[in-house]
This record gives sequence, structure tokens and C-alpha cells, in this order.
Amino acid sequence: MDDMQEIMEDFLVEAFELIEQIDQDLVELENNPEDLELLNRIFRVAHTVKGSSSFLNFDVLTGLTHHMEDVLNKARKGELKIEPAIMDVVLESIDMMKELLEAIRDNGNDTDIGMDITDICSRLDAISQGKAIEKEEIAEEEPEEEPVAKEPVAKEAVEPKHESEAEEDIDYSKMSDDEVEAEIERLLKEKKEEKKKKKALKEEGESTAPAKEVQQSKKEVEKPKPTPKAPVKTSSKSPTKAPVKKQPASAIEQTIRVEVKRLDHLMNLIGELVLGKNRLLKIYDDVEERYEGEKFLEELNQVVSSVSLVTTDLQIAVMKTRMLPVAKVFNKFPRMVRDLSRELGKSIELKITGEETELDKSIVEEIGDPLVHIIRNSCDHGIEDGDTRLLKGKSEGGTIELKAYHEGNNIVIEIVDDGKGLDPDMLRSKSLEKGIINEREADTMSDKEAYALIFKPGFSTAAQVTSVSGRGVGMDVVKTNIEKLNGIIDVDSEIDKGTIIKLKIPLTLAIIQALLVGVQEEFYAIPLASVLETVRIPLDEIYTIEGKNVLRLRDEVLSLVRLSDIFGVDQVYENNEHAYVVVIGLAESKLGVIVDTLVGQEEIVIKSMGDYLKGIDGIAGATIRGDGRVTLIVDVAALMDLAKNISIDITADTQSAQKVKEKPSDYYVLIVDDSKMDRNIMKKALTPTGISLVEATNGQEALNIIKSGEYNFDAVLIDIEMPRMDGYTLASEIRKYSKYKHLSLIAVTSRTSKSDRLRGVESGMSEYITKPYSPEYLESVVRKNIKLLAE
Amino acid sequence: MNDQLNKVLQKQQKQISEPEKVIDDVVQLVGFIIGNEEYAIPILSIQEIIKPIEYTRVPQVPDYVLGVFNLRGDVIPLIDLRKKFNLESAKQSDDTRYIVLKGKENIAGFVIDRLTEAIRIKRDRIDPPPETIHSETGMIYGVGKRDDSMLTILKVEALLKRDF
Repeated sequence: MDDMQEIMEDFLVEAFELIEQIDQDLVELENNPEDLELLNRIFRVAHTVKGSSSFLNFDVLTGLTHHMEDVLNKARKGELKIEPAIMDVVLESIDMMKELLEAIRDNGNDTDIGMDITDICSRLDAISQGKAIEKEEIAEEEPEEEPVAKEPVAKEAVEPKHESEAEEDIDYSKMSDDEVEAEIERLLKEKKEEKKKKKALKEEGESTAPAKEVQQSKKEVEKPKPTPKAPVKTSSKSPTKAPVKKQPASAIEQTIRVEVKRLDHLMNLIGELVLGKNRLLKIYDDVEERYEGEKFLEELNQVVSSVSLVTTDLQIAVMKTRMLPVAKVFNKFPRMVRDLSRELGKSIELKITGEETELDKSIVEEIGDPLVHIIRNSCDHGIEDGDTRLLKGKSEGGTIELKAYHEGNNIVIEIVDDGKGLDPDMLRSKSLEKGIINEREADTMSDKEAYALIFKPGFSTAAQVTSVSGRGVGMDVVKTNIEKLNGIIDVDSEIDKGTIIKLKIPLTLAIIQALLVGVQEEFYAIPLASVLETVRIPLDEIYTIEGKNVLRLRDEVLSLVRLSDIFGVDQVYENNEHAYVVVIGLAESKLGVIVDTLVGQEEIVIKSMGDYLKGIDGIAGATIRGDGRVTLIVDVAALMDLAKNISIDITADTQSAQKVKEKPSDYYVLIVDDSKMDRNIMKKALTPTGISLVEATNGQEALNIIKSGEYNFDAVLIDIEMPRMDGYTLASEIRKYSKYKHLSLIAVTSRTSKSDRLRGVESGMSEYITKPYSPEYLESVVRKNIKLLAE
Repeated sequence: MNDQLNKVLQKQQKQISEPEKVIDDVVQLVGFIIGNEEYAIPILSIQEIIKPIEYTRVPQVPDYVLGVFNLRGDVIPLIDLRKKFNLESAKQSDDTRYIVLKGKENIAGFVIDRLTEAIRIKRDRIDPPPETIHSETGMIYGVGKRDDSMLTILKVEALLKRDF
């Protein structure tokens, strides 16, 4: 039973891979009906599926593929010309085959969904009989009898099946793949030889006859059909395909199938390694600072660099194993466009370039749906019908270009059509009508913003809902899916020239580049793919419109929001006159996020925070930085939503944030000294002022008191020589917190040398008092620093 | 012969239906203090107990979720049991510990004031929680009666359940 299961899984994997290619081949076949290689490939798919499915007792599937095989076989032998009408039936049967395969995958059999294949089979028969004309009447009868005869037999048992099947089947199912290939090769050669002979014969008579025949037969089919105006041309220049054509089947790539789960595991391990590497680099930096010029440092440097280099290479290598060519998604579009253009009665050509561009498997799976919607829209709304196009002086047939290429750490997918383009005024009035925007918004909206309206749920410009589009959901799906991938959508359009939709998607989701920003004393990581730019602006450039802060950035108006307001970070540190704005973009929208510091760019590994903290608004996950601390990763999509609900005036509360200090006891001074006597001296000097005093016996303790936020200190008196943490270290630690940037740090020490003073300045001390000192001097220095004037 | 066989069979049957109570049904717990009370947690659901380490605040969560911390490369939520039990928050001391609890799906660290001891208690000495206390939150598994004191045994799954 396990063996059976394994065979079945193999069968499914193989079958799905085969049908992936078949759609494109079929559409191409329509253009080159005489391409023997194509025909053979398609025939082989039908044949392989038939052979394996009969072995596995999938009678419905076997029946269907058998009839398909008949038709394709005739076409292959040149007894049948593939025409659009025939193609429709063949494509339909392929769809049914896919459905059956999916049913087998889900249910384990092909009977549960109760698909009726008699109709399609009889149509396939009709084609193979009707067009096949003379030749072997016996062969034609065969398919009709076979399904009937096979069913009861197959139900009996598995073993006697081979004997009961038609002779032809036994041959093939007993053959190995290679043998089948060889057989096909042989037949192919024979066929070619025959053809050559025929050609030679014919050339003696009429040289151009066959070509004319083809054209004539094409026209004959088109005439009775009212809708389609021209045959669809779907060209695709795939570099991967070209070599295949030249040396068929023999050039088999050396591959092994690996479970995705294993690759995911590998990716996780690499993630850990990257974190380790980051940590190592950080430690190396610290060590370098402390032991500058030591000999072992050089060696350490070499090791660290080589480890980090190898880790990076390893990461890229593993990432590559997860990469798939985007062709996997693109392949289904020629077929889709063909069907659509027939359905809509337009002539549309789809040009695909860059389908060999690779990106992560998980992303390939996600971009399929958005692209379907965009292309459907282009076909339905973008490309005009032939007459309109001619009136506008364009070629009758429309073109849709689908391009994929790399740009830095992103992949860009462009969908370009030469249709009627987007009319920003029409978009504005339509969305006004539907209540998506209000009048004021419509007035102030730029054309670019108007284009973005097409992504709003419920928006549709179609006068009527067709089976193709017009319900106003498709583009919303595009937006949601691209947002999920941290992608950016860019729409550009010109009336009567066409529309360009650009999707910019990060290559991989597991390990990403991020911009680290500081908000008060917290750090957050923003995925770099979503960061458009960073700017430093003076606060007075921030304007307020309807209670929202905006910034005029070049010719755009950008909403601004403070990251600390979104995440509820305590606003302890007073605002500068300048603000750092990180402009983030996602899908089609933009937002300016104000942060306190820009830390830098870093490679981060996304870690989940577990079920307990899953799905917190605005947080996509966490990562561990080089120093071992956890840093949260911003969920840009959620951030944009959260920002809408925040209306705190950034410019206004800079003043109100400052607490008014009325009496001396509102001022707090921290005394840090390990000697009790020294602390007492300082206390004695300061007590008369009425200032509130807090004591700490060493740097570590002082830092903890400051960090706890219990007191809002105005000044810190620091001794230099202290156990656990000395004064210099304490000062530089305090300065690491942006909210203490302006806190007065006064060194009180007996170290008087110039180099000591210099070190004090370096570590961030604001004053330097040398021991011994008079109480009055200390008092005046403290008063000066906390701006408390003597009465 | 038949009688003998029947007897043997009956004896076996009896053994299966009422196994002899040789094994004392003992629960092993770890006791700790939060505020003024002693609580306990089954030892098997504790992954480890660590000294306090730095944690990162997480926005948009209730105040008893202090944030997340890095436990050898894993990001783990940290929950303050004092705040969870509506007690006044206290400063961390040298005795403060994080107890890392592991449930079926979840894992989280809990801040406690100090550890007491490992406790063995017979199952029949554990009463269900009094209906009046904490019935709405359901965080209590039972109350263990000891010679000189009472012990509140917490329900691990309830502690690890996200309730926001």
C-alpha cells in the first residue's frame, strides 16, 4: 500500500509538472501548427498521463487522455491540422485533465467529483474522425469501444489489468521513460523521413501548395465564427526553450527533488548563522576598540572576515535553491490572454520577457493571483477593440507586455499595455460617485494619486459587470497580495498611450535588509524594501492640514506620523528642531515616519514571536541583533493603517511636553560616588538649595536608576573611579539614550590631568569639577547646569 | 480445568479493572512567591528557570506583557505575573527569576518574585479551586493543602493562553 502511495505521489508530481508546460506549448502550436517537436511534446504529456493513470486505475482520466491522445496523434502524423476550433476543444480537455488531476490529489480518486467526460470525448472523437478522413477505420473504432470494455475489467483487480488492456498500452506502460523517449525519437525520425520524401515529391509539382493550404483552412474556420476578429498571436521568446528545440529530450538536467520542508529548515539554520555572524562582527568591533594594535587582532580579523564571507555566500546559495524562475507563473498567461481575447473579441498579443528571472518559491506562489487580475484588467479595460484602435490610429491588435527583471534586492514585474490608458479625471469623478473619496480629496489629488484609486475596494470603471471583470475586487486583491510580500506598486499611465503597472517585490522573505531606527530608547527595524528614502527636515517645514501633519517633499504632499505615537513610546526626550523622516512606501501608498535616530542598515532574520504575541498590530516579527537584544520588525502595511487613526500634532506638543518646574524640589540631581564621605560632602553642599537628591554607589546602579525612569533627573554628579562601572563608561552609556542627550553630566574627580579631562569630554561629560572644591563652587556649577537661579 | 481457567481469568480481569494502589499518586511542583502568596506550577511544564535578562518592550499589548526576550536565539514573550494578578508592581531584586513555561503550542517567560522549593504533594491533597475565587479567569488548577500552609497551583495552559 505504501508502495502504491509512493507511486501515486510520483505520478501527481510528474503530471503537474507536465501540464505546466503544456498550456504554453498548445497556444504556441496554434501559431505553428506544423511544429513537430511541439506536437510531440504535447503528445508525450497526454501519453504519459494516460499510461500512468491506467496503471493506477484512474479510469476517467485514462479515458479522457486516451481520446486526447488520439487527436494529438493524428495531428502529429500530419493527418489533422490544428485550427482554433479544434484547439478550443483540446484546451478544454486539458482543463478537464487538470481538474481530474487535482481531484486525484485531493480525494485519491478521479470518480468522486463525478465529471462527465462523454461529451468531450465524443467531441474529440468527432475531430479525430471528421478531419482524419481516410486511413484506418479500425483505429477509429477502437477509442469508442475501449472505455466501455476497460471499466469492468479494471474494477476486478490490479494484476490482470495489463493483460486485458489494449496491446499498445501494454507496450508503453512496461517501457521505462527512456525507452518511451527512444521510441518517440524513432517514430519522429521516420516521420521526418517520410515528410522529406513527400516534400521532395511535392516540390517537383507545386512548391508553395502546402503553405497555401494551411492559410486557406485557417480562413475557413474563421469565417463561420462571428466573434474573433483575428487569430491570437502569442509569442514568447524563451531562452530556456531554444536549446530544448535543438536537442530534444537528451539534455536532461541533473536534478534531485527535495522536500520544501527541508529547504525551509536549511534556511532557518542559515538564519541562525547570520545572527551568529552579526554577533561576531559586533564583538570584533568591541575587541578592536579595546586592544588596538595587538597582533592577535589581525588574525581575528581574518577569521571574522572569512566566516562572514562564507556565511554570506552560504546564505545566497541556500536562497538560490529556493528560487524558481518566474516562468512558472508566466506560463499560464499566454493561454489566459488567448482565451480572453477570443471571449472579448479583441486581438491581443502577449509579449513575455525575462521569464527566466528567479525569485523565492513562496513569492512565486503569491504573485500569480495579482498578475492574473492585472492582465485581465488590461485585456478588458485597457486594450480597446479593433475598430476603436484603428480610429485612434493605432494598430488593430493590442499588445500587452509582461516583463520581469532584477533591480537590486528586488524583482520588478512590469505589465505594460498599449490600450486607452487611465483617465485621472474620470477616476476622480467615479470614486467621488461611489463615495470612496470626498470632494476635497478629489480636488487636491495628483494624477498619480488618482491612478492609485483603482486599488480601492469597490472601485470599478467598467460600465457593466462582465464575466472577465468589473466587480471592483480584482485590484484590491492585487494590493493585498503585494502588500503581504512587502512589495510596492507603481502605476503610470497616459491617455490613449497605455498603462504601465510596476510591481516591485523583495527577492526573499526570510532574511531581509532592514533600516534600523531609534525611537526614544527603543529600536525598530523597517524592511528596507519598503523604505523609499530618508530625509532630515526642520520642524517648521511640517504643516498641519485638517489635524494631520504633512510635509511638502519636492512636489508631493506626504502625511507624517511619529513612530513613537503609533507604538506608544513614552515621549521623554524633547524634540530637536530637526526630525528624521523615513519615507515608507507600500503597494501604492506612501507615508512619512518620524524617528529620533537612524541607526543604519542591517541584515536581519525574521523570527516569529510565537502564538502568544502573533498578529500584533504594526509588528511583523522580531529579530535578534548582534548585541543579543531583540529588535521588533515593523509591519509596514499595518503601520500605514495605524497611522490613519493618529492625529497628534507633532509641532504642537513640543512645547507642552516640557513639564513646568516651579520650586527647587522639582529638580532632581543624582549623586554617583562609591565613597560615602564624598557623597555626604556633595549632599551638604546641595541640600541648602532645596534640590531633590538621589544617591548611587556605582555606575551600574546609577544607570539602573536612570533607566528605571523613576526620577526625571536634571543633572548627574559622577565620580570617575568607581567599582563595577567607572564614570566614563557611565557617561557614555547614558549618552546612548537619546532622551538623555541633554542631561547635564558633571564629573567630580581628583583626576586633574589634561588627558583625563579630554576623556571626560569624549565620554559625554558636560562639566568637569576637580576635587577638592568649595561647596559654593559645586552649588553654582549645578545651578548653572540645571538652570535653577539662586534666589 | 475449566474452573481453574475461569478463576485465573477472573483474577486477571480484576487486576485490570482495579489496579493495586501501590504507586502513590504524587504531583511534583515548583513553588514560588508572588507578592505575599505562594504559588506552584507542575514541574513538567517548566522548561527552565533563568535569572532576569534584558527584554524588549512590545507595543499594543496589555501592560502585563512586558515584552520579548532572547532565550538562546528564540524570541520569547515575557509576562509579569504581578501585573497579571493585579498586584502592585515591584522592582526586580536579586531573587527575581523568569520561569519559562512550555505548553502544547505556546512558550512564555513569567516574572516571579522568588523561588521557594520543589514540592511533592499527593494528588488527593489537592482540592479544586474554591468557586468564589478567580472563577472567571480560571487560572487556578487547584489548592494544595500542606501541613502548615496552602498552596495555589496554577493552570499552565491558562497562563499561556493569550487573552487579549
